[in-house]
Amino acid sequence: MSKEDNLNQNWKKDFPIKKQESTQVSRRDFAKFLTFVSGGLMVGSGFVTAKAFLLPKEEVEGEHFICNKEDIPVGGTRGFVLEGSTIPYILIHLESGDFRAYEQKCTHLSCSVFYKPGTGIIHCPCHEGSFDAMTGDVLAGPPPRALPQLEVFFKENAVFVKALIEKKDS
Amino acid sequence: MSTFRKSQNSANPNKLNNILSTLIFILILNVSIQIWLLYASLNNALDNNKEILIPAFIASAILFFIGFSWLYYLPKGNFRRK
Repeated sequence: MSKEDNLNQNWKKDFPIKKQESTQVSRRDFAKFLTFVSGGLMVGSGFVTAKAFLLPKEEVEGEHFICNKEDIPVGGTRGFVLEGSTIPYILIHLESGDFRAYEQKCTHLSCSVFYKPGTGIIHCPCHEGSFDAMTGDVLAGPPPRALPQLEVFFKENAVFVKALIEKKDS
Repeated sequence: MSTFRKSQNSANPNKLNNILSTLIFILILNVSIQIWLLYASLNNALDNNKEILIPAFIASAILFFIGFSWLYYLPKGNFRRK
């Protein structure tokens, strides 16, 4: 036996695992892996719950002046950011004369939404999502939730916003 | 030495196959339900509906423990490598 053969054989004795066996995933291993994924999903669910209860979303506080009524023409919009926050909002002057303020982030993947004048629809160009400009509800497309809304009110000619107190239907 | 399990297995060699397939099927079902629960609770958390979160987490945990205890029935196979 040559020296090389001897080395090869000893090597195989030390590691008696065939390459094919080492790369094969048995159904037993697959079942264990599925249980592992299941545990991961449970932890994720717990994380979402803990975050929602321990670190709740900050509410808009106080009243904020945006602009005067005549600054926005009918069908026009104006973007604004509240003090101490980075969330972009848009103020819309609807054709019906109402003012509405919404977060500018689409609830699908946070693209910027814009108001389509004359249609009553807030549109998201990324995945063709549409929201009702009167209520913020989803009309079409992939967004899972309505646009978050601020309450608009007036002091003489000035437009102010504050946190919307939601009226639950039930 | 022949045992009860061994003779059972040799009388019906497909049985282990069925057990394992059923087990994996149920695990996949559990994981799908958990994915759905996680998706729903995420959406509701972002929408500030908190009442669904804890029941969803408990359901997810129950499904995990069901899957975990299923592993007890994972067959070892007829032919053990020495």
